[in-house]
Amino acid sequence: MLHLAKVAFLSKYKCSCPVRFCNIFWSLSLSFLEYIVAFNGYFTAKARSDFISSALRDVDAVNWRIVRRDNPASDYPSDFEVVEIRQDARSSLLTLQDHPYIKRVTPQRMVLRSLKLTDSGTDGASPCNDTRWVQKWQSWQSSRPLRRTSLSLGSGFWHATGRHSSRRLLRAIPRHVAQILQADVLWQMGHTGSGVKVAVFDTGLSEKHPHFKNVKERTNWTNEKTLDDGLGHGTFVAGVIASMRECQGFAPDSELHIFRVFTNNQVSYTSWFLDAFNYAILKKIDVLNLSIGGPDFMDHPFVDKVWELTANKVIMVSAIGNDGPLYGTLNNPADQMDVIGVGGIDFEDNIARFSSRGMTTWVRSHAGCQASTCLSMASESLSMLVFCLSSTVLNRELVNPASMKQALIASARRLPGVNMFEQGHGKLDLLRAYQILNSYKPQASLSPSYIDLTECPYMWPYCSQPIYYGGMPTIVNVTILNGMGVTGRIVDKPIWQPYLPQNGDYVDVAVSYSPVLWPWAGYLAVSISVAKKAASWEGVAQGHVMVTVASPAENDVSNSGEMTSTVKLPVKVKIVPTPPRSKRILWDQYHNLRYPPGYFPRDNLRMKNDPLDWNGDHIHTNFRDMYQHLRSMGYFVEVLGAPITCFDASQYGTLLMVDSEEEYFPEEITKLRRDIDNGLSLIIFSDWYNTSVMRKVKFYDENTRQWWMPDTGGANVPALNDLISVWGMAFSDGLYEGDFTMADHDMYYASGCSIARFPEDGIVIAQTLKDQGTRHLLFNLMMIIIISVGNHLYRYSKVLEAHLGDPKPRPLPACPHLSWAKPQPLNETAPRSVHMRPLPFSTTALSVETNLNWDALSLNISLLVLKSFCCLIFLWYSKPWYTIIQKFGLSKI
Amino acid sequence: MVFRRLLRKRWVLGVVFALSLIYFLSSTLKQEERTIRDRTLLEARDSDHHIQWKIKFILGNSSRQISQCRNSIQGKSLLTDELGYVCERKDLLVNGCCNVNAPSSSQHVCTSCLANGCCSIYEFCVSCCLQPDKQPLLERFLNRAAEGFQNLFNAVEDHFELCLAKCRTSSQSVQHENTYRNPQAKYCYGESPPELLPI
Repeated sequence: MLHLAKVAFLSKYKCSCPVRFCNIFWSLSLSFLEYIVAFNGYFTAKARSDFISSALRDVDAVNWRIVRRDNPASDYPSDFEVVEIRQDARSSLLTLQDHPYIKRVTPQRMVLRSLKLTDSGTDGASPCNDTRWVQKWQSWQSSRPLRRTSLSLGSGFWHATGRHSSRRLLRAIPRHVAQILQADVLWQMGHTGSGVKVAVFDTGLSEKHPHFKNVKERTNWTNEKTLDDGLGHGTFVAGVIASMRECQGFAPDSELHIFRVFTNNQVSYTSWFLDAFNYAILKKIDVLNLSIGGPDFMDHPFVDKVWELTANKVIMVSAIGNDGPLYGTLNNPADQMDVIGVGGIDFEDNIARFSSRGMTTWVRSHAGCQASTCLSMASESLSMLVFCLSSTVLNRELVNPASMKQALIASARRLPGVNMFEQGHGKLDLLRAYQILNSYKPQASLSPSYIDLTECPYMWPYCSQPIYYGGMPTIVNVTILNGMGVTGRIVDKPIWQPYLPQNGDYVDVAVSYSPVLWPWAGYLAVSISVAKKAASWEGVAQGHVMVTVASPAENDVSNSGEMTSTVKLPVKVKIVPTPPRSKRILWDQYHNLRYPPGYFPRDNLRMKNDPLDWNGDHIHTNFRDMYQHLRSMGYFVEVLGAPITCFDASQYGTLLMVDSEEEYFPEEITKLRRDIDNGLSLIIFSDWYNTSVMRKVKFYDENTRQWWMPDTGGANVPALNDLISVWGMAFSDGLYEGDFTMADHDMYYASGCSIARFPEDGIVIAQTLKDQGTRHLLFNLMMIIIISVGNHLYRYSKVLEAHLGDPKPRPLPACPHLSWAKPQPLNETAPRSVHMRPLPFSTTALSVETNLNWDALSLNISLLVLKSFCCLIFLWYSKPWYTIIQKFGLSKI
Repeated sequence: MVFRRLLRKRWVLGVVFALSLIYFLSSTLKQEERTIRDRTLLEARDSDHHIQWKIKFILGNSSRQISQCRNSIQGKSLLTDELGYVCERKDLLVNGCCNVNAPSSSQHVCTSCLANGCCSIYEFCVSCCLQPDKQPLLERFLNRAAEGFQNLFNAVEDHFELCLAKCRTSSQSVQHENTYRNPQAKYCYGESPPELLPI
């Protein structure tokens, strides 16, 4: 933790601002005359004085005296006394210590504390002491965590009456953020957010609150007939955003519109949001702050409405986190790039990390962040920032959701040594964002702005494994932000231009992209593969992808009706010779399903407070340790995102199937059997599947007002049994858990089935475990309501089709076919540093060197922009509101 | 003393219990009803309770000449201006109006709109809603708008803003909160919500 905090500071130094530090020095000195005499118990002043005088009866009375302490406590018994003893009489101390009622005698220490100002130079080599930084961080972390769990599910996983609500109020932030974010500098320049309309979607605000002078309007969208905030959350958020100066609000002259969309019981529904959003569009809100979060469930009406909102130029800042609206899903990555999402959702966790790490790395990437830029900061403070910024921009026309986002991303400074999913774009710099916005020319930009698969740890997991001929293509999803207009398109096709001197021709690139960039953004999925001629070559290859984006010109008559902007995406990869078959492992991702859209229960049944398996399973997320272990053993792990029929089994040693929820096509089953006859190894980690337990884990969802029944168990054991029946193997529907030891390895078997059938000549390593199923069944005898719902797996499955009677398999989909871009080689070398290219703005210098009232705090903290980095291979990290359960493959052997 | 003895009588206790039970049940049910009613923002209003709408319908406003147009801003490829013209983005003039002479632009089109007043394309819904003969329909709707919609439609100032707001998806458009009633035709200028399709 300390280390991370320090990292942030060091990188701040690198931005070459003169920094003054306020260091606190402690000095201790012994006052040799005074001693603290501690007694065995509490005695009155008279008794204490008697004890001391009896102990010191041999010492001349002029040599010692009891120091008077005139304080309110002196009337009460105390367990110590301060005694002044002349230096030459110090031998008497021994006699003091011999007294039966005296516990010990210690010298009185005097503590002197002084403040010293030091100027640190502009270089980063400041020998700072970690503990000193920690003190600073703690000093501005003044807020309480505000976690309002309307998920009353805590204990309810097994209860039929468990309720589950979809959105929750999120977070509170430190109060003095204005200074920290350098907003005071903008204030001094006279930008106080005047004329900017800000909407706060929260629990409302009391009418007569003394601190808010600019509340333009309060509206209620809930079924409670009040506009007041009964919870305090909305008041706090509004206060952060726009209370008057003395409350340290950010944009004190902004116009506040309070939308009450949460009841005092923290209930809220999609339909309320739809109506409230419509009103926000009508009112031409500039910045909208939404401090809610909740689990995703592909809430199309909500997602569409958010698009509509941003398409109407509302800059939406949201503490979405895990919340539904703002997610790329498995099938449409990079969808909601139009929202400035704020990661860091679990309050307790966040604030805790917040305080200890100093906002450097406390936000982990998760699904929500991948679909939008995540800033590791409370949304309110980002909202403040955003409209603080939008009010400063001279040409208000140029401020739109895309340009704001571009400015935030471009002004961010990268932190060294941190994975992009932890640090994002780096620290955000308000003043730099201001400069950028004020010199902004409408253009397109890419996020991430380059693909360097060799850069570790920033590009983890891409950097953890070089690419080779014959491997599954590496897919990097890049977001195109288009500041030129709400709609745009890619002109012709993106062009792949390999650099011949840097072996660019060894790389094949295929690009797919959104046909229309709307609203403000689109995706560019870059698939990278190795050309055949590099099958046994080792080295680094470079090139770039060039994209031209065009938007209808809105304000310019003289133009031919379109504005265009061309961006380059540098690509750098490391190539190795194709590894031997035995070293290649294929992870089956195609048969993994996760929570949205269907209800797939957790694999570990003990995790009751969140029943939904919404992270899914992935080799780079919850199985990350397994991945790293396999890599360190020299294995190459690839991910199969297509049916089993789509890979060449003669190239792979092992197929790995972990917790598969999906069914199998008949063609897949036949093909796998053939592959295994031809020497492919198959490793299956099954999970639990027990129909009576599945009935128990249903819950009531407040938003949809429906009961949610799991569509499979932790894994789809019946489907797996079909797959492996030909070898005489089968899994049972039992449910077991327990600890066991194997090869000196202590392991925990969380929830899983047992092996029901296995061929005679096979080897089974067995262990007796606790039967979890019966226990839970007993536990649920209290349950009254039993709702029988059929299996709906066909609704979400890629394999099954809804049919009258039994679901039938769909026709096998065609294997994905990439059309490789025709390279247009360039005989030039790559620029030396491909990374951190800012937008090519003509930055005009900002004269702020006058009256910069830096104090120790205001300098050092900036926002972090989390990288919005969508990958087709899904990188689901921790789900922020619970700690990741280390459910690694090893514990399931 | 008499009172206390009376209280010990079994039938008195029974009556007290029955009354409290009735009270409990009725209040619970009423509350339930209210919650359900409050969830939908459109309802049949009491006819004596009329809201004073600010909205003004300017008759024949589609034929008047204006120098500056508001338009529907958000469209992916299409836009509707306040005169009811739908056009492609490239045919939008600098003043925000559709270029009337462009082949793509036409006025008051109801393409993709169903008989119940629901359309699959937002821009056509707005354009259709701007037809002068839709005015009685809109007025009838406004008189029925529930309190929850008051916020929205009170702020609407003219026909164009009303159509922009009315055509948007709203609480009326969803079932089970997270699914459209009819994902194909979800933009409605009419009185009735989209047709309810099974999930």
